[in-house]
Amino acid sequence: MKNKGWQLVKRPTGIAGLDEMTHGGLPRGQTTLVVGEMSAGKTVLGLQVLASAIAEGGSGIFISFEESPDQIRRNADSFDWGQALNESKDWSIVDARMPLDAEHSGDFGIEGLLAAIQSKASSFRDPWVVIDGVDQLLQRQSDRIRAIDQIRQLNECCERHDWTMLLSGKVGIDRVAPKFLEGIEFMLPTVLNLYATTIDGRLHRYIRVGKYRGSSHREGDMPMLITDKGIQIPAEIDTSSTSSGIVDERVGTGIPRLDELLDGGIYRGSSVLISGRPGTAKSTLAASFAEAAAKRDERALYISFDELQAPFVRNLASIDIHLQQHIDDDKFRFYARTSSTCVIARHLLEIEALIDEFEPHILVIDPVSALAKAGSPEAARNGVEQLLTYARMKGITSLVTSLTSDDDIEQESTTGMVSTIADTWIVLGYHMRGGERNRSLSIVKSRGSGHSNQQRELLLSDDGVNLEDIYEFGSDVLMGTAREQKDSEERREKAREELERAERRHELERRIDEARNQAERLSRELELEDRLVRVLEEESNRHARSIRRRRQPEARGEKTGDDK
Amino acid sequence: MNEEISRPESPVPRLMLFVTGDAPRSVRARKNLSGALDKLELDEVTPMEIDLLDQPEQTVAYSVFATPALLRTDALGEMSVLYGDLSDEDKLHDFLQNLPEASD
Repeated sequence: MKNKGWQLVKRPTGIAGLDEMTHGGLPRGQTTLVVGEMSAGKTVLGLQVLASAIAEGGSGIFISFEESPDQIRRNADSFDWGQALNESKDWSIVDARMPLDAEHSGDFGIEGLLAAIQSKASSFRDPWVVIDGVDQLLQRQSDRIRAIDQIRQLNECCERHDWTMLLSGKVGIDRVAPKFLEGIEFMLPTVLNLYATTIDGRLHRYIRVGKYRGSSHREGDMPMLITDKGIQIPAEIDTSSTSSGIVDERVGTGIPRLDELLDGGIYRGSSVLISGRPGTAKSTLAASFAEAAAKRDERALYISFDELQAPFVRNLASIDIHLQQHIDDDKFRFYARTSSTCVIARHLLEIEALIDEFEPHILVIDPVSALAKAGSPEAARNGVEQLLTYARMKGITSLVTSLTSDDDIEQESTTGMVSTIADTWIVLGYHMRGGERNRSLSIVKSRGSGHSNQQRELLLSDDGVNLEDIYEFGSDVLMGTAREQKDSEERREKAREELERAERRHELERRIDEARNQAERLSRELELEDRLVRVLEEESNRHARSIRRRRQPEARGEKTGDDK
Repeated sequence: MNEEISRPESPVPRLMLFVTGDAPRSVRARKNLSGALDKLELDEVTPMEIDLLDQPEQTVAYSVFATPALLRTDALGEMSVLYGDLSDEDKLHDFLQNLPEASD
């Protein structure tokens, strides 16, 4: 039956994420051990593999050592593939539960089990064989070596008959394999480990390819979900194979001044992080971005962990962001989610499903830091990275907001991490001054763009969102009333200086005038003085002549002519 | 597969030994059982032997997946089972106590 003897041939399980992890499926004609704690999803895994196979025209045998056939069917029925499985005649459940009061006397083997499988398998074509709860059989073996021998016997039987088998067994709470499973993990070529841990009261499931002899596989724990669709493992995106070409096109943010600062907008297919404390208008900016897309006739998907659609739309209308019309035109879709209702893996899966369905050009997640509430910070970081990569791969421009808070270390660390992934990082803040709170915006980074490093004031008004140049004042920046106040202060100061200058000038002119008057006055005094001197000299001369005449009267007649 | 038809006709034998051919454990189980019946002076009891290699469908019919296995039916039709090669004599003797009157 085998194609080429020893060669490894993989058989797809039909569980997309599992086939992706195992690079194509589980080994055909061999046994795969599925070990996990109680409620980790072992039975569902087996049933789902059968359901997928049967949906594709295959068949299967389900041997249950734990649950009754009715329980198995009820279990299957809770999934959306369950009905088809339960109605199908292409599989058979074998009730292999041991009687409660069964006793042992000496050594026993599993030849009966093998005979049963063989008997059933002969009536199906190429069936999957699922043995659920093999620990129930093995734990009755007094000897560990004998248990291992029996598993080997099973595996050899698989190889001989080309059965592809899933063998599931329970491990303890601490994931330690019980005695009867010790050694089995080493012997079988493929082992899948399922874990379930509780974080903050919620069950988080993980799956790992513990080993896969002869095959490459993805390593590490992958989050696993059990939903109506059964087991779902969010696909890991291979960033090296992202098909979206590098695009030079820029998309507008809806705020012309911001586009200017960003050297023309955001690159299509890139990611933007807007971080800030509560009330810094992160959502408003995000909504503006989404509205701009809808106005360009593109589709925008808005995932909100904070708000409901009706108040969100109403509140934004007050600042001239009108979304209702775009909702009616199916250009804008709003989904309110509650972060704490389910685990991160489920959020991712459902958001990816929304993306696949709506095929948006723009994706907004507001705030992405809320995911930290749905799991550990590390899981949130990985989740955000996966979402952004998923969006990028599809050429979607994504904008995520992140709440920063000194008190919330989890959200803070999400912001820190996302900021390293995002292509553009815009930080919003407050400036408290003069009893006034003003919003500020600064671009911390923008890959591939020359961008302004200046902080701006973010203004929300009836006319929409806008940016205002800040007022530089020494090393500080001024905003709001302070900006206006400072502005008028400077004007007053200038006016005062002008006035002072005018006064000073006037004073100088006055003093010049004064000096000039004095000079005139002094000149006049000088003139008077000169005149007085001349009068006195004449007087003096006259006096001298009269004296001389009196002393020389004889000379008076002769000299009459001189005396005029 | 109709499991009812494959069951032996009643009356149900008091003892059934499920074996798989001449596997060492099966051989030992046969030997241990007949030894015990001798010892307990239950010569009139003839266990019905079912070889699962020949009749694999009987594994499902009787839910016997571990072999060898000794199945006992009491007067009310209740079945109990003893797994193993029956090498634990005490357990085997206990199991064979108070067998119902022969009906076969």
